Amino acid sequence: MKKKLVAMLVLAMTGTMFLSACGSDGGGKTSDGKAKIRFASWDEAEDVDAQQAAVDKFNEAHDDIEVTLEAYGGEFDTKIAAGMGSNDMPDVMYMWNYPAYAQGLEPLDSYIEKEGEDYKSNFYDTLWNYNSYDGSTYGIPIGFTTHALFYNKDIFAEAGIDEPDNDWTWDDVIEASKTITEKCEGKKGFSFQMKPDPYDYEMYLWSNGTAYVDADGGLDGNLNSDKAKEVFQMFQDMEKDGYAAATEKSGTDEFRAGSTGMYVYGSWSINTLKEDGVNFGVVNIPSFGGQDSISILSSSGISMSKNSKNKEAAWEFIKFWTSEEMNKERIGMELPVLYSVVESEGIMEQPEYAPFYTMLEQSSDYTPASFIYDGWSELSESLSLSFERVFNPSAMENVSDVLDEAAQQ
Amino acid sequence: MTQKKLSKKAIPYLFILPWIIGFLVFTIGPLIFSLIMSFFDWPLAADPEFVGFGNYIEMFTSDKQFSKSLVISLKYAAIFVPLNMIIALFLAMLITQPVKGVKVFRTIFYIPTVISGVAVSILWGWILNGDYGVLNYLLSLLGIEGPKWLVDPAWAILAVIIASAFGVGSMMLIFYTDIKNIPIDVYEAATIDGASPARQFFSITLPIITPTILFNLITSIISSFQQVTLVMLLTGGGPLKSTYFYGLYTYNNAFKHHKLGYASANAWVMFIIILVLTALVFKSSSAWVFYETEAGGVAKKGKKAKKGGKRA
Repeated sequence: MKKKLVAMLVLAMTGTMFLSACGSDGGGKTSDGKAKIRFASWDEAEDVDAQQAAVDKFNEAHDDIEVTLEAYGGEFDTKIAAGMGSNDMPDVMYMWNYPAYAQGLEPLDSYIEKEGEDYKSNFYDTLWNYNSYDGSTYGIPIGFTTHALFYNKDIFAEAGIDEPDNDWTWDDVIEASKTITEKCEGKKGFSFQMKPDPYDYEMYLWSNGTAYVDADGGLDGNLNSDKAKEVFQMFQDMEKDGYAAATEKSGTDEFRAGSTGMYVYGSWSINTLKEDGVNFGVVNIPSFGGQDSISILSSSGISMSKNSKNKEAAWEFIKFWTSEEMNKERIGMELPVLYSVVESEGIMEQPEYAPFYTMLEQSSDYTPASFIYDGWSELSESLSLSFERVFNPSAMENVSDVLDEAAQQ
Repeated sequence: MTQKKLSKKAIPYLFILPWIIGFLVFTIGPLIFSLIMSFFDWPLAADPEFVGFGNYIEMFTSDKQFSKSLVISLKYAAIFVPLNMIIALFLAMLITQPVKGVKVFRTIFYIPTVISGVAVSILWGWILNGDYGVLNYLLSLLGIEGPKWLVDPAWAILAVIIASAFGVGSMMLIFYTDIKNIPIDVYEAATIDGASPARQFFSITLPIITPTILFNLITSIISSFQQVTLVMLLTGGGPLKSTYFYGLYTYNNAFKHHKLGYASANAWVMFIIILVLTALVFKSSSAWVFYETEAGGVAKKGKKAKKGGKRA
């Protein structure tokens, strides 16, 4: 009898739990009738403070909306994923991985249309590509970075050679790396990641006129095309010949320490390098000769949950968050995404930022494989292993063999 | 009368109710739920679809990474568990010595346990860095050229083991309290009989703490299979997937590839493996663990436990 009772109690309790997990939070209104908007951000520390201040400003200006900031930090993806699984997503959230989350997001095209043509055209065109999936726009651009070539001016002076410019080709990089490695004791000319993120790495294939996949997502003949192999071979040769270092992480540490002359990276490291007092310059990514070089975009946007109960209010907040005012506010944390702000703030006159915008404009017609290939996250993991087999100094496998094998999946 | 009896019986349950609720809601509930999920193809945003044993079949037949990760985790456990226990016991012996300032050492040895796994990973990332790391610098002072710990697949798993052994403090403390509880007169008697300190350790200390060894053995087997923070942050499963532990494999299936059902199945297979291992350890324990309450003769217990002590 007692056992039965306990068993029933257990059942009852687990039952309540499941029910409450599926329950709703009562219409998305606060007690005083304001529309409640939950806004999830991936930022951390002082960036969150700045965001909270901006959110407070928005709340003060709106009597009918109350936005609460939820800072998920490094756990962002896990929490969004879990939230989506349990139907408990924030109304508005930062977003970058559209292929993975598009199903839970609200298409924003009709909202954008209502704002008029000028609203949309003020954003850099390339960015819309990266905030869309399957023909619909799911996010409004917040920030981005392209990649560019960073070089250490002191090292170039020490080696006694000309600094890179925007017209450099990879041959120029190899030539300069050779000289630096030979003339500067204990330094390498160039560094690249031993285990590059496959998402980023596709930019080199684009720059050489190929890609991981064709329009239908087929790998064979693309990932292992001669042009793709050429790219991998060039990097591997630089490492083998000793002119380039393959770095464990991004390469920023090596560059900061002044042990490498050049590396390709996003704008993330600019603030750090300035604080360290590194005497550096930034130019476009070198080209392979034939065409302009292309960069991958790491872009962030802001999206709305398709299950939000207060979509109008959410859109109101998104508009505020993507406004000129907020773009200006975020300078220093993000590169502004509006033509008007880039112009009014004179960003193009700043030599360390201008190349990122040139790369942005040069890269408008390319769509990463992650948006095309179904099941990218698993492909990415296996590509990552393949690339590591090519670049890890304890492996250094044959480029052609590895890529042929990787293309057969 | 009966009412009084009932309330007398019910009141204790009332006191532990908060814990019971927590246990049901946060442990048993999710546990059952994950078992259910493991029979579904459960993507993140779309509707789940029942697949029966499909996930389990896929794991054992077509997913190569499953067995690879399992082997890596077993290898890790096989080295880490004994090593960790030996270090913990060694440190525990050190801090039971009546030396001046022993409290300071006790604190020093324990401190790493308080540091969060994330911080430990970042810390060891720097220590183990092949080019700038402190460890390789120290080795270079001895004239040894250190390996590229986090780049060379042959060394990476060892690097992870070293970094995990950093958190040895809590196990050390458990050993320490147990050793401290051994009555001093046993040692005095042994000293009078002319037993050397080593002899005292193997014939007195070790047999008496076998229950604690058993406890530590089981908890550390479990935690070694659950290791995920360190590999996620220190090595990311690399180089060349040489530290792609089973825990990381499960985590990535769930939160990177968004295959929640498949990951639940992974987790249940791990649960069964841990269960079997734990059962084996328990089964073997009757041969080498000695409980004072079951004591026979002193001589007998010494012999019996000594045999087992070596095995542990």
